[in-house]
Parts: sequence; structure tokens; C-alpha cells
Amino acid sequence: MSAIPFVFDVLAYSAIFVLVVLGLGVIASMMGIFNFAHGEFVLLGAYTVYTLAQQGIPVWIGILAAPLAVAIVGLILERFVIRRFYAAPIVAMLGTYAIALALREGVRMLLGGQFYNVVAPLVGSYSIADVSISKWRTAVIFITALIMLGCYLLLTRTSFGLQVRASLENPTLARASGISTGRVYAATFAFGAALAGLAGGLMVPIYSLNADMGVPFLIKSFLAVMLGGMGSFEGSIVGAAFVGATSAALPWAIKPVVADMLVFLIAIAIVKFRPEGLLSTWRK
Amino acid sequence: MQNDYKQKLQSYSRRLFMQRAGLLSGMVALGGGSYLLSPKGTWAADPIKVGIATDLTGPISWGGIPNANVAKMVIEDMNASGGLLGRPVLMVLEDTATNEQLAVTRVRKLVTQDKVDVVFGGITSSMRNAIKDTIVNRGHTLYIYPQLYEGLECTRYLYCTGPTPAQQCDTFIPWLIKNGGKKFYLPSADYVWPHTLNKYARKVIEASGGEVVGEEYFPVDYNEYSATVNKIMSNGVNVVFNTTIPPGVAAFFKQLYEAGFSKKGGRLACVYYDENALNITPAHEIEGLASCLDYFKAINDPYGNKVQEEYNKLYGTKNPLTAGSAATGMWRGLNLWAESVKAANSVKREEVAAALEKAKLSEGLGGGCEVVPGTWHVKMHMYTAVAKNGKYEIVEKSKGMVDPKECLKA
Amino acid sequence: MPRTHSTEFSRHHVLTWIELGLLAAALILPLFLSDFWVLFSTRVLILGIMALSFDLVWGYAGILSFGQALFFGMAGYCTALLATKVEITSVFVLLPVAALVGLVVAFLVAAIVIMGKRPTSFAFVALGTLTGSYVVERLARGWSYVGGQNGIPSLPRLTAAGYEISEGPVFYYMTLALLVLVYVGLRLLVRSQFGLVLAGIRQQERRIAFFGYRTQNYKGIVFSLAGLIAGLSGGLYAFHEGFVGPGQLGPVLSTQVVLYALFGGVGTLVGPILGTGLVELLSFHLSQFWDTGWPVILGLMLLVIVMFQPTGLIGFFVSDRERVGSFGRPSQQGRPTPHSKEPERVVP
Repeated sequence: MSAIPFVFDVLAYSAIFVLVVLGLGVIASMMGIFNFAHGEFVLLGAYTVYTLAQQGIPVWIGILAAPLAVAIVGLILERFVIRRFYAAPIVAMLGTYAIALALREGVRMLLGGQFYNVVAPLVGSYSIADVSISKWRTAVIFITALIMLGCYLLLTRTSFGLQVRASLENPTLARASGISTGRVYAATFAFGAALAGLAGGLMVPIYSLNADMGVPFLIKSFLAVMLGGMGSFEGSIVGAAFVGATSAALPWAIKPVVADMLVFLIAIAIVKFRPEGLLSTWRK
Repeated sequence: MQNDYKQKLQSYSRRLFMQRAGLLSGMVALGGGSYLLSPKGTWAADPIKVGIATDLTGPISWGGIPNANVAKMVIEDMNASGGLLGRPVLMVLEDTATNEQLAVTRVRKLVTQDKVDVVFGGITSSMRNAIKDTIVNRGHTLYIYPQLYEGLECTRYLYCTGPTPAQQCDTFIPWLIKNGGKKFYLPSADYVWPHTLNKYARKVIEASGGEVVGEEYFPVDYNEYSATVNKIMSNGVNVVFNTTIPPGVAAFFKQLYEAGFSKKGGRLACVYYDENALNITPAHEIEGLASCLDYFKAINDPYGNKVQEEYNKLYGTKNPLTAGSAATGMWRGLNLWAESVKAANSVKREEVAAALEKAKLSEGLGGGCEVVPGTWHVKMHMYTAVAKNGKYEIVEKSKGMVDPKECLKA
Repeated sequence: MPRTHSTEFSRHHVLTWIELGLLAAALILPLFLSDFWVLFSTRVLILGIMALSFDLVWGYAGILSFGQALFFGMAGYCTALLATKVEITSVFVLLPVAALVGLVVAFLVAAIVIMGKRPTSFAFVALGTLTGSYVVERLARGWSYVGGQNGIPSLPRLTAAGYEISEGPVFYYMTLALLVLVYVGLRLLVRSQFGLVLAGIRQQERRIAFFGYRTQNYKGIVFSLAGLIAGLSGGLYAFHEGFVGPGQLGPVLSTQVVLYALFGGVGTLVGPILGTGLVELLSFHLSQFWDTGWPVILGLMLLVIVMFQPTGLIGFFVSDRERVGSFGRPSQQGRPTPHSKEPERVVP
């Protein structure tokens, strides 16, 4: 009977994690930049939902607004800051680290360092065979699945999607083929940020809002991207699913403190022995 | 006469400024140096310097900010009523930034550069451990640590004015058994405080006829508790004695609630949960949560209310004065220290410490308190409160002051 | 072969003047500074040694290591354990042990992250070292034998033949001596033939490999050497500050060191030391200025530097030509040297 909560646990955590990693992976694959501020995009999404809720705006509207708000922030950052780093992706890591510092500490000041809660749009749980399952966490799983489907359709059925996929797989060739990589990059960065913002908005009713909420995701997300393989959308999903599932599943079998570290070591080991990742189609 | 005093103060400020500017031309201090709460008005003597080292930034800033606010308030009040020993009190505030590496330098500045007469501060035990040597041993300065903690700090000239495990468990656990049940579960964050607190709690639980069904440790940012919640529900646990801390605690309480723990009559207990912490999760999830601290706003006594009113007027309500953030310990420590300075008629460490050994306050936040001689810890009143509808209600007051039971000579 | 660079250009030697100037200043500093500032400066020197270790791997070999604090912290912990559990406090034992620990741990990390049959991508090295730093910090936080979150407090002072080396001018000059030693050693290393291979690896690893050099081994050696230096500074730090904690192992400190080096100017050896001093001073004064908001300002300032002056502060004074430098002995100076600001992205 504990199979149900176990499976649910794994799915619920992986769903949120996939959203975060997807955004990061798309940015990393296309521009080679590991965005150290990605966790703070998640934070901004959560913050948007909280601030709007304080003004009396229903949480579900806040969750719709969060990706938009964070996408705008992403666009502004891309235009004025990130763009300078395309030629030097290493410097990009440090630049985004500085941005992360500024964003996180800025939000911390606004929050007074406190933890705040946001009530979920769907409160309570339903039972399956004597096990209580959170309604909202179930909703998150479905929403994530829908988003992934939507992204898939966007990438495969639209011409914009085609441009994005081309730039993801082979940036040099894409540029040579006349794709306006400047605009594609900007749109992709905003898109990645939006996904993170959405993840933050969906997450905040489950875990509370506080300035450090994005930090635990960062390193795991980087590893998930490398594990899944850069250069494709599916790669990030696979990597996130793997890391997310392992993170959620291992603690059922071994002590949580040990499981926590094991996830990282396993991920490193896999990337070491299969550097292209599990699914890689990247050609420079 | 007025001019004399003014000149004296100005000359003091000038000297201080010169000290700060340093003798090396390249090192120009910005402004007047660290945050100085300069005493207003004119004084006849040099100020007494109080160093406050607390986390104004970083993950523990929710605690550091009220600490700093309380200190400012108490010191300003001291100055308004004539200072200490006829001297003004100068507060020097340094941010330890929840970063132990940085904190040591900041505290060094307080002790070596500003030459403060006492240091108050540190919130987490790791911070206390990082800075205590610099203050007490290398700096030969008195150190007062205000936060509730795991005990076992028995260092001369280091006084702890926050509750210890004995104070938080001795009256609380019997109440929990009476108002919850005998089967306890101890979900905890994996660091020193929960480990040590649990050891003590277990002793009291078993001595009071209870049983510890399980004890588990998680990383502080751990989010998936279904395995644990499962164990709690299936074992018929009556009391969940929680020591997981934010951020993980939010997810834990939510998952516990969703599994129906409190609906089925379970009691949630958490000894660091103050009014501020009530914001972490929606009120319905922590309905019935019990906590045991040295002060709650809900005590609603005239002394406490006056202090709260003054605090809120000065600092608003974003970072309230609560017991979980060490602010009450800071208040207590500052007042005990001030009393001792008056009794010893000096600010020299050895003399103040001797006076501190006998210090007591007849009234204060949460009632009076008293230092237990030879142990560097403080007896205080403890209150058990239950959360109802997002607010606390006091359900039990300790009969008199509770013993900290620390650093006892066997 | 036409001589594209002549010795006349390098006669400007701005870098050398900066180095000598800083050395002179460092020698007389304690005479002018108050106690606190001597302690502050000592700490800057110690962190400067760690920044040097980063500069070695990144500025000279092109290995982006986000985990230097791992070696720093582990050396600190090992020496702290020796001092508290076994009561060894002799500086002649503890500092070499610190360096050794740094060397060994770095070698182990290099074995996983750098060496191996296939060359690893730079992203993997960066993430691998970051993960190593992160995982070991969490391990230390949870392990009660090494004090858990509290670490090991109240460390005794280092001793030399019975005499206690307390913080202050004595510790300062000891650190300065070690810094100069490390500095000179590195200076000789990077201008040697070995250094030339490193420069080649930094620029175009594939090409150097085609010449027959086992680039993995070179990188492994350099990485281990940097680990040794970081370990040495870790040992000094633990005893100067009087405690070790998990924060000395983790990614926050690792990244801080990267920022020090970047701020000052990577690839110049003196740049990172300058950067350390400046960033520390900046943090200090900013926090005096705005006690709750200073991290935001610090982040923004770092961002500005990264955006507009990626060669660091040194870049204002030293030409790019001189920054990269020349190799070998003067008779070989006709050889053209690499001349670009950033290495090309290595294909993962």
C-alpha cells in the first residue's frame, strides 16, 4: 500500500523539478550559458504570486501572471546583461552569479528575511485506498504534463519552434542558415525564465516563500542538464526525470541525509562515463 | 557649561573618527564607520560601548533584524534615563551575515578596533561557536548569547540568556502527554540542536511514562516527507515533537496535515515556533500546534504590552519582537548586564561577571528572571501556548521560574 | 622567422612594478596599521594565497574549478583535528600536513573530474568541482565527529618550538613569507616550458594534444599543485581565525575565490591578490554603509566589473600583451605568443 504515496511522491517532485530544469536546459543548450540566477527566477515567480495574493488577487491568477512577470525580467536581463556574455560563457557563469546575489538579497530585504505562506488554489486532499493525496500537488503534475505537451507542440509544429530547435542543436549552422539568433536567443532566455517562474508559482503553495528557496535547485539542475544531454529539449526532461526521481525515491530506502549526497555522486558518475549525457544530439 | 559638554562630545567624536580613518592614507573610512547609535544630547563622560553582532543579512536575517531593533530600543531607553553610571551607552552594530567566515572579522572589529565593553549576539550555534573564541579568549571581552539552544555551552564569561532544553521540555512534555498522548515521534533537522534536544526530550518523555516510537533526521531543505508521515499515521503516534526547521518544516506540516494527523486527534509540538513562525504555513495546517517558550505576545501582561507597543511604534510589524528570534533573550541579556554594571559600578569584564552571577530582574518580558550562579545560564518563566486560528493562546504557565539545568558541577 | 615581438615592448614591465610596489607596501603595512587592520590584512593575504591557487588552474591552465574551497576546507579540518584531538600544534607539522591534504584531495578530484581516457568538457570540470565542494560541505554539516554545523571551535594557536604564533604582526609576516614563496614559485613555473604547455592547453587543447602532449596529465599536475596551495592557505586560515566550519568547504567560498580572482584580473598572479584585498575591503565598507542592503550593492558592483572589465582591475594598468606574457628564457622571446582574451569554448 505504500506504493501509492511513493509513486505520487516521485511524480510530484519530479514534475516541479522538470519545469525548473527545462528552462535551464534550453538556455544552456542554446547559448552555452549555465545561468546561476535560475533559482532566483523561480524565487521571482513565487514572489509574484505572493505579492499579488497580498493585494487580494486570487492565487491561480497569480500563478498565470508569474511566468509572464519573470519572462519580462528575463528579457530585460538578456537585453542589457546576458547578451554581452555570449562570446565568453565562463564569464557568463560569474555574471549570472552576481545577478543571483543581487536578486536574492533584494528579495530578502523586501521580505524582511521572513517566511510567508500562500494558500493553494485547491486546498485539501482526496483519498485513494486509505492514503491521502494532496489535491494541489496532483494538479501540479497535470499542469506540468500539459506544459510539456504545449512546449512539444510549440517546438515541433511552429516555424519559431523549428528555429529554436535548430539553434539548440547546432548554433553555428543555424546562424549560418540565416536564423536571426539574436531574437531567438532573447525569446529562448525569456522562455526559460518563464518556465522557472511558473515552477516557482506552482511551488509556493507547497513550500513556503523565502529568499533562499531557489538555491537548493541550482546544482541539481545543472547536473540534470548535463546528465540528460545538452542540445535537446527531450534531454533536459530525461535528465530532470532521472535526477528528480532519484532524489524522491532514494530516501524511502536509505537515510535522507545519505540519499541527498548519493544523488549528486550518482549523477557525477553517470556524466563521467557518458559525457554526452543520456540523450545527446548536440553538435557544435 | 553647555558648551563644555558639547565640546567634550565633539572631541570624542573627532577622536573616534580619527581612529576609524586609520593612519594609512589609503584606507579612508566611508562615513563614520560602522552603524553607531550615537547617544543624543550632551554628556560629561566617555561612552560605554556595547557591541551587537547579529545576522542582519543572509538566511537568518528574520532573527537578526528584531535582535538589532530590540537592542537599539533598550539602549536608547537607557540613554533617555540618564545612561549607565552616568555615561552614555554607544551601540556598535555589526552584521554577521549568517556567514561564519565573515563574522569573525566583524566581531574582531568590535573587540579589537572599537574595543567594546561587551558583545551581545550570535543566533545559530554555529555562529556562536565561530565567534566565541575571538570575543572571550582572544578578545578578553564578555559575551552574552541570547538564543534558545541545545545547552552544553559552559565557557567562562559566556552567558546564555535564552531557554535551554531543560526549560523547554521539563514542563512542556508532561503537558503534551496529558493533552496529546503517550506515543511520540521526533522528526528533526540534522544538526546539533535537534540531536541534543531530542536526547533530553527522550529522557523526560520516558520518565513521564511516554514512548518514543521514532526519531528521524533530515537535511534542513528536505521537502518530501511522505515516508515519515506514513510511519506517523500507521503507528498511531499521538504527539509529533517536531524539530525540523524552515524551509523543510513548511512541507512537513503541510503533508502531515493532508494525511489527517490533527483531524484524527494528533498533537503537533514545536519548541521554536513563535508568533512569527505562524506565518510559515496557512493557519489551518497548524491548528492546535503547541509550543513552549519564554515569552508570547498572548501573555498579555501590562509590562509585555508596553514593550510591544514601543517596539511596534519604532519598527513596525514586519519583524516582530518574538521569542524564537532571540529578541527576548537579547532584551533579557541587555537588562541583566545593565543591572550588573550598576551593581559592580564598573564595565570591567571580571567585575561585571561577578555581579552577573547574582543578577536578577524582578519584571520583564515573560516575567522576571535570575542568573544561576556558577552556570552562566538564566532561570526564567516558561509558557505553553497552543495555536488557534492563526493566533496563540496561553494554556499553561510554569509555577515560578524554571531551572536551565546546564553546566552543573556533578 | 620574423620577430613579431621584441624585447623592447616587454621592457615596460608594468606588472613587475606593480608586484614590487605591492611587496614593498606589504612589508611595511603592519607598522602603520592598527591591530584590527593587521588582522584584516593577514586574512586577506591568506585568502590571496587561495586566490593564487585558483589563478593557477584557471588563468594559466584553463581549468574552471569551482571547488578550491574543498581543498582549503579539508586541510583546515585535518589540521584542526590534529590540533584538538592529538594536540599537535607545531607549525612545522601542521602547515606541511595542510599542504599535503590539499594535494592529495586535489589529486583524487582530478582523477575523477579531469583525467581519464577521454578529455572532459570544461563544463563538467566546473560542475564536478562545484558538486564536490557542495557534497563535502553537506557531509561535514551532518557529521558529528567533525562538529557538524558548528565545526571545530576554539582552536589552539600554532606553535614554533614552544613559542605561540598569535595573530598579529608575527602571523602576518609568516603569511607574507609563505605568500611570496608560493608567488615566486608560481611565477617561475608559469614562465617556464611547463608554463608554455599550460598556455597552449588553455588556448587550444586539441592542438597541444596533437603535438603529443598528454594534456590530461598536465592538467592533473597543475590541479594537484593548486590543491596543495589551497590546502596551505586553509591551514593558515583555520588557525588565524580560530575555528573551522563547513562554510570553509562549500560553494559559497569557492565562488568567492573565483570572484576575487576575476575582480583583480586572472592570469596575472598579482591580480587575484589585489582582487582579494579590494573585494574584502569593499564588503567591509559596504556593510558599514548599509547594514541590511550591502549584499545587493556588492552583487551589482561585481556584475558591473564582470560586464565591463572582464580582465579585472589589472586590465586598467597592464596591457593585454604583458598580461599574457612571454615564456622561456630571453633568447626564445621571438616566439609568437597567444593573444586573445578568453579561451575558446571547448566542445563538450
